[in-house]
Amino acid sequence: MADVVRFASMGTRVELHRFGAGADDALAAAQRAIEAVDDALTIHRPSATTALNERLMAGRGSAIDDALLFDALVTIEDLHASTLGLFDPAADRRFASAGWSAIAFDRNSARIEASMPVALDFGGFGKGFALDRACAVLRAKGVVSACLSAGESSIAVVGEHPLGGGWPFSIPHPLRPDEILVELELIDESVSISSTVGAGTAAPERAAMIRPIDATIVSAPRCSVAVDRLGAHAEAMSTALLVADEAQAECLLHGDRTRRFLFDFPRGAAIPINQPG
Amino acid sequence: MTDKDFDLSRRSFIDRVLMATAGAGMAAAVPWASAAVGAAPLAKSDRVRLGVIGTGDRGRALIQNIAKTRNCTVAAICDNFELHLAKGRALVDPSTRTFTDHRAMLDAGGLDAVVIATPLDLHKQHSFDAFDAGLHVWCEKAMARTIDDCGAMVKRSQDSGKVLQIGHQRMFKPTYLNAVKRAKEGEIGAITQIRASWHRQSSWRRPVPAGATDRQINWRLYRDSSAGLMTELATHQIQVSNLFFDAVPTRVMGSGSICFWKDGREVYDHVALIYEYAGGRKMIYTSLLNNARYGCEEQIQGSKGTIEPELGRIYQELPPKELALLRMQADVASGHKRAVPIGGATWFAELPVTTPGEPLGWGEYDETMLQFEGFGEAVRTGKPLPGLLSQAYSASVASLLGEQAMDSGQILNWPTSLVAI
Repeated sequence: MADVVRFASMGTRVELHRFGAGADDALAAAQRAIEAVDDALTIHRPSATTALNERLMAGRGSAIDDALLFDALVTIEDLHASTLGLFDPAADRRFASAGWSAIAFDRNSARIEASMPVALDFGGFGKGFALDRACAVLRAKGVVSACLSAGESSIAVVGEHPLGGGWPFSIPHPLRPDEILVELELIDESVSISSTVGAGTAAPERAAMIRPIDATIVSAPRCSVAVDRLGAHAEAMSTALLVADEAQAECLLHGDRTRRFLFDFPRGAAIPINQPG
Repeated sequence: MTDKDFDLSRRSFIDRVLMATAGAGMAAAVPWASAAVGAAPLAKSDRVRLGVIGTGDRGRALIQNIAKTRNCTVAAICDNFELHLAKGRALVDPSTRTFTDHRAMLDAGGLDAVVIATPLDLHKQHSFDAFDAGLHVWCEKAMARTIDDCGAMVKRSQDSGKVLQIGHQRMFKPTYLNAVKRAKEGEIGAITQIRASWHRQSSWRRPVPAGATDRQINWRLYRDSSAGLMTELATHQIQVSNLFFDAVPTRVMGSGSICFWKDGREVYDHVALIYEYAGGRKMIYTSLLNNARYGCEEQIQGSKGTIEPELGRIYQELPPKELALLRMQADVASGHKRAVPIGGATWFAELPVTTPGEPLGWGEYDETMLQFEGFGEAVRTGKPLPGLLSQAYSASVASLLGEQAMDSGQILNWPTSLVAI
């Protein structure tokens, strides 16, 4: 048995492919999980996040009542720390946002304060976070083999490939589609791809990639790939790698050189950064 | 350019027209072109003698093109404005007779045909007078100021047994002819829409020299003498549309306004129209005078590609992107496991395709020269170039019908009382 649902959410096209066992309503439930995340984290229509942003930009603190938003903020705080502060959904030049360092988040009281005006844009993190929720729903519904995509730069898989073994993916060179940067096999993992070049990077209203350290835009042609058990973590890592300087990249890649990749493209050629071999 | 160079480029031009008109169905689609190319060269003493009425900018350009032909000669010129007449005189042999009254030129005799390059509202009377004098007529587009007058010119030509040819140089341009050929061969699939524009950054108002009146010089801006953008520009592109659709419109709707140049003119400086053709096909037309970014072009849009004849390019539709995850589903169903390529954002705006396309083939030469060689042959044989007057009549009617649609705010059907050709 194989079935699929496709829908628009998280500002992209989402596809959920299920193979084999699982409840009949598994995909529908996974879709609802993703849409619930979108409802809570979107900044493109009224949401818990836009309400929070209004208060933070006005210099006021806020209680976090929305459970999804609270979970997202907990995860973000952890990921901000584990990526050397390079993953920062509060660093957004469009809103003159000061960055996560201006935020004080108290998990125990579920309150957030900001010392300077800030605004949150969950972007790619939101997609990974939503896929994590959908994967959890699918597993709870008995699904053992599934592939989830939130735009083709955010992928999560449940279990093994329906024909056995890992799910094989290849990451094309963003400037030379006939060349392959990386080939991966995933089992119960997520992969996130971030890039400053290639398809979609010139799309209208797409936010520029910002270095949180100095608020400059990353303009050099670069692509990062990160694999993790959780999609939210993969998204944070690929974002951090994209904005990292050489020393920071070495530090981040050191964690797992077979699951994290960084490429620069001087004159179009792909130069792996700090990769074995 | 030396005479030898000119002969070579002329030969090349003629060859290109012949090649473009040699395809399947082309003889029926553009019969006038091959007939014009076949015009016999004539000794200077035997050439068709033309009297040019109107030696303004356009009339003088025509005189220069007539001089390039091998079967026509300018035997007389006429203009009631001395400055224009003097400029025309400078372009012709000193022995060429000059007149300030076209009737005097007709009465003087020694002509086989007239070339009319006067304001639009005078075309009908000037052509009537020429027909009455037993002469053939080549008249600038558009044909006349009203649909009835266009029909009257056709009727008078038929009744007098004299040739009436209207100036539409695109019908002789190799790039256009080759575009028709490639469309007929199915390269761009079924043509369902033509988007045409003629956008200029210009007031269209000319300085009035001493001795002339504003209405004489700027006759294009006043309603009694012109339908403005419709008869001066749109008529060319409507004819292209009719040619590619191989039909005349069934109805037209539109909006016109004096939107920018509020300088006392009476004709619209912005027009936007939709011409409908059978089967739901459409020609969408805009013309304006305060933004030239998109210039003059006809975008001929088919199911497999697009032709832009002014740019001389043909573009193929891009094949739809193969969706990686869709392919994965098919692979699993067939027991096949292979890497799924990922990494492109799948949600991006459907921006204009900017692929460069291919050259349509064959650049510029002098199509105006060729249409006069065709006219000379028509006069010599007494047989009009086949199909050409019908094209011109339909284009003029369509442009004037468009003006009526904009003026009335109504959707207007194609007239049923036109003169049969």
